[in-house]
Amino acid sequence: MSLKSLTKTWEPMSYGFLDASAKREIRRKMLKAIAVPGCQIPYASREVPMARGWGTGGLQVSCTLINPGMQVKVIDQGADDSVNAASIRKFLARVSGAPTTMNTLEADLIQSRHRIPEEKLREDQILVLQVPNPEPLRPVQPNMSIARQMHADADYGRMWLQLYEQIVRSGRVMQGASYPSLVNGRFVMTPSPIPRWDVPKMDMAAHLTILSAGREKRLHAVPPYTRVEPLVFDDVPYRVEEHAALTCSRSGARGFFMNEIPQGDGTSTYEVSDSELGVKTIRCRDGEAAQVGETWYKSGEMV
Amino acid sequence: MTTHPVPSDFETRTNATYDALMWALSRPGLIRHMPETGQAGVIEALLDRECKAHCADPALASSVARTGAALVASDHADHLFFDSLPDADTLEQINLGSDLYPEIGATLVCNAVLGQGVHLRLSGPGCNGPVDVQVAGLPDGFWQNRARLMRYPMGFEVFLIDGAQVLGLPRSCHVEVL
Amino acid sequence: MAYVATRGGERAIEQSERLFRAEMGEITPNRVTEIRTAMPYLVDRVMGESSLYDEDLAALALAQTGGELYEAVLLLRAWRTTQPRLTVAEPVTQESLFTHRRISAAFKDIPGGQVLGPTLDYAHRILATDVLTGATFQPVPVDPASTPSPAQQPSVAAWQAENNLLTAPTTDTAIGNDIPDVTREPLLFPAKRAHTLQSLARAETGGVLALGYAAQRGYGQAHPTVNELRLAEADIRVRHPCGTVFSAGRVKVSQAEVVSKKDTELGLGFAATLGWNEVKVIAAATLDLNAHGAPKGSPTEEEFFLYHTEGVESSGFCIHFKLPHYVTFQSSLDAMRDAKAKRAVSKTDVKPQMEPAE
Repeated sequence: MSLKSLTKTWEPMSYGFLDASAKREIRRKMLKAIAVPGCQIPYASREVPMARGWGTGGLQVSCTLINPGMQVKVIDQGADDSVNAASIRKFLARVSGAPTTMNTLEADLIQSRHRIPEEKLREDQILVLQVPNPEPLRPVQPNMSIARQMHADADYGRMWLQLYEQIVRSGRVMQGASYPSLVNGRFVMTPSPIPRWDVPKMDMAAHLTILSAGREKRLHAVPPYTRVEPLVFDDVPYRVEEHAALTCSRSGARGFFMNEIPQGDGTSTYEVSDSELGVKTIRCRDGEAAQVGETWYKSGEMV
Repeated sequence: MTTHPVPSDFETRTNATYDALMWALSRPGLIRHMPETGQAGVIEALLDRECKAHCADPALASSVARTGAALVASDHADHLFFDSLPDADTLEQINLGSDLYPEIGATLVCNAVLGQGVHLRLSGPGCNGPVDVQVAGLPDGFWQNRARLMRYPMGFEVFLIDGAQVLGLPRSCHVEVL
Repeated sequence: MAYVATRGGERAIEQSERLFRAEMGEITPNRVTEIRTAMPYLVDRVMGESSLYDEDLAALALAQTGGELYEAVLLLRAWRTTQPRLTVAEPVTQESLFTHRRISAAFKDIPGGQVLGPTLDYAHRILATDVLTGATFQPVPVDPASTPSPAQQPSVAAWQAENNLLTAPTTDTAIGNDIPDVTREPLLFPAKRAHTLQSLARAETGGVLALGYAAQRGYGQAHPTVNELRLAEADIRVRHPCGTVFSAGRVKVSQAEVVSKKDTELGLGFAATLGWNEVKVIAAATLDLNAHGAPKGSPTEEEFFLYHTEGVESSGFCIHFKLPHYVTFQSSLDAMRDAKAKRAVSKTDVKPQMEPAE
């Protein structure tokens, strides 16, 4: 073994920004996350040239997985051209030379904040979800160490109690996004702040999901074909947002998750939240060639 | 910084090896292909000085040493590499992690012959219905010991290597010997 | 075809960054040098919170961010994380520090003596407004002492340990790569001692002060006495691959020991950081002093103060609330409207629900 064999040629910046040792650590932790679905795996979480809380966890995973042959899609709140999605997409392209796309069907790697695309993901696709708070137990236990012990003991009683209390007080479960869900029958995880509309897409999905919280330094995963069950009581069914009957005012798309746009006259109109689906729908309507893939929801119903 | 960094050969190779390992573990029973044959590629994609590895084979041990990982006894290792597993009792030594930190459970990498031998039926996360595979070259009692030792979520992962092919078995995978 | 609320995302973010940079103007080597020489304590603070000792880079970070401290620290940390670790220096001991200032509130005099060193402690804080009308503020030269104070000093805690007043901390014998590094591995609880001290060393000054002050005001169990506060320079000694140990230069460091009575002994709290920052090390040492046995969830519990004084994480999360949250908001609205409709029917009391920030 020579000294030369232990060194590498100097580069102004590592490929994908992260150095080899940071990538190896994330690789090791991702493998364990896949092996124990829904279990939060602590990792070092290096600083990246973006502020904490702005997708640094998702970014580190993407930077580890990326290669020049990978088509990358980045979305925020369902939209490809929102400012932070644009910023992350630009960064990923700059540090990797990987081609970017807005088309869900073309993407190999999708980094997303708060949404799962409406078009079904395939067995060869990876979804990286940005996670602000990886701990589903935080509302009932803010202390990370105690919460970890509760996961170890599968002690989710207080979680259930909280849901029960909400039903008693408000007549329904009040959780908006980030609906706590049981993965592979063992770990309760947060699916990240995706709307309740998106949680059923994770159950027995064909694609691999990696959820990564950079600030909180934890990552977890949902491998393909893994059970993801929102916590519900047998007699109070899980309810997604009442968006099934809404129509997008711009594209005419119907039966998907919508953004509500308040109007000056006190009413609201709606726009489909998955911006690329909206664009494709408009293109199809205008007679352009655009392929809308199979969607998880059909006529507003999860198939 | 105006131009895109270009991946080095090392980056390209380790990225592709990891891709094969990740998908092998994500879809137990579906065989993936690594860019190079053997376990050395797995070592360079995963290990560095933060790791503790157990390695029986001297050639692999030098690959491990190059990464800076410490060579340790099997019960202290987070990664174990075997050319051929001496006997099924070796599994008893493998670190399973703890309830609090299941991720401390180790990763076992060993050679096997894929596509021949014992008929196995896999189920669990990553399996879209039962998946059947054939594996030879492992000591008698391997599958029985694996099943006996797993204490989900405590447990260990297995990568079976046959040339450039890899088959992954996460601890969450139920293996039935047919 | 732009579709979302903020249209033309790529162009918008590019132009807004240009606007910020245009307002900063040209950044020249002179500007960086001026910042470095005129504001050593600011540079020190940034180096400490970044855990990176390089005065030029810290001054550059300040120049590039217009003195936005959180941005400057993030910029330096993001640079630091890409740098290779060439070697780990030999341990620095308290006795080996080149001491500029060293005071103890616990004793009138201490072995080695009290050394006031440079400080504004006893200055009258009067603004030199003459400077604004054209005068130059000329500092009065220092009269040197007849005998210089010794450059190296023992620690006060060591004397107390010798006299059975406190139990000396056990010596951590880990060296080189065996020293846990909080920037390379996750912080878990109970934290490794090295992780605690490293986290405090790179904590945000204001955050440490806020929680340390809370402890000092009575939200902790222990009232600190400053055993010793020291501003010094540490010699960084590294081993050449051929075996020779040599000095790679000196870095400014500050450290504080605080004590309080605990049954029949003194409890000891310690903190140190890169650069000279007295407020930070006294506040951090107070937190360290109070950590042992602190109730879960209290501000002096290790998990509480280490998480909440991490400046890059806390400031990043704080500003992330500027990002659009309309999907999560829509999801909450849906649940709220439905519950309201139900209440209108059943007329039962609806109590507000708390969800953690996302």
